[in-house]
Amino acid sequence: MLTVYCWLLRLYPTSYRHEFGEEMTSVFHDAQIELPPALVAKISFYRREFCGLLSGALSAHFDDLFGPAIPFPRFSMQRQFRFPRSTVFLMCVILAGVVLAIHKAQNVVQMKQSLPPATATAWGPMLWGSLFAIGLVLAAVGAAAAWGVLFALRRTGMHRLEGVQTGAEH
Amino acid sequence: MASYDMSVNDIMKTFALSEPVLLVLLSLAEQARHGYSILKDVETMSGGRVQLSTGTLYGALQRLLADGWIERVEEDTAPRDRRTYRLTSRGRRNLQIEIDRMRHLTKLASLRVARKEG
Repeated sequence: MLTVYCWLLRLYPTSYRHEFGEEMTSVFHDAQIELPPALVAKISFYRREFCGLLSGALSAHFDDLFGPAIPFPRFSMQRQFRFPRSTVFLMCVILAGVVLAIHKAQNVVQMKQSLPPATATAWGPMLWGSLFAIGLVLAAVGAAAAWGVLFALRRTGMHRLEGVQTGAEH
Repeated sequence: MASYDMSVNDIMKTFALSEPVLLVLLSLAEQARHGYSILKDVETMSGGRVQLSTGTLYGALQRLLADGWIERVEEDTAPRDRRTYRLTSRGRRNLQIEIDRMRHLTKLASLRVARKEG
């Protein structure tokens, strides 16, 4: 299990792993030694540890990306924090894009079904080509929107949290 | 009560710490400890209810270190995998603010419950 734990530690950012990796492994090892023999206790321990590792790794990466703002609700999130409106708008745009794409795809399928077999065969390659092109366009729009979300977070929301501390400072 | 100058309103405007973080701070308030010792102490303090994973513990320690609430005790003989942490004066002050907030809340809750029963 220690090997699996060490392997899962690789999910953390390198700097974090360098700073805490050895300590975490040592603490896990100590805790493992003192585990009660009951199977339920062991399962509970490993479940807790591996879930904790996964969520910890996610939080550490989030910290790297956005700064220490979101990963610990009730610990670091300040009441001044608001989800940026521009992000909500961009998410709506993405959702609208997805709904539109589904609608278009349904239209294309219906069109294909309504055509006579000979024509349908002729249309086949064009249809797949169109679908591929639509897919590419959607992927590009999605990537642009994702970049926009990140940009908006940095520009309109997250920068306000840079100076925020974990608790009230007076 | 705390020795700093804060009104009740100011205290109530502060942000509640999560229970694991509060327990970690309380554990270090008594004495400097290393990771495993914190883990066991938190479990003991909460009567076994709060069992931190190493991921959660070190996530909290990293944040507390970054914000200057705790610090590492520099020991030449300490191995790298067993470093000791202690509360800073800033961490102790913020912990005191949190305790005052909880004390005020408990007092308020008692009064309201008593009033309702009466």
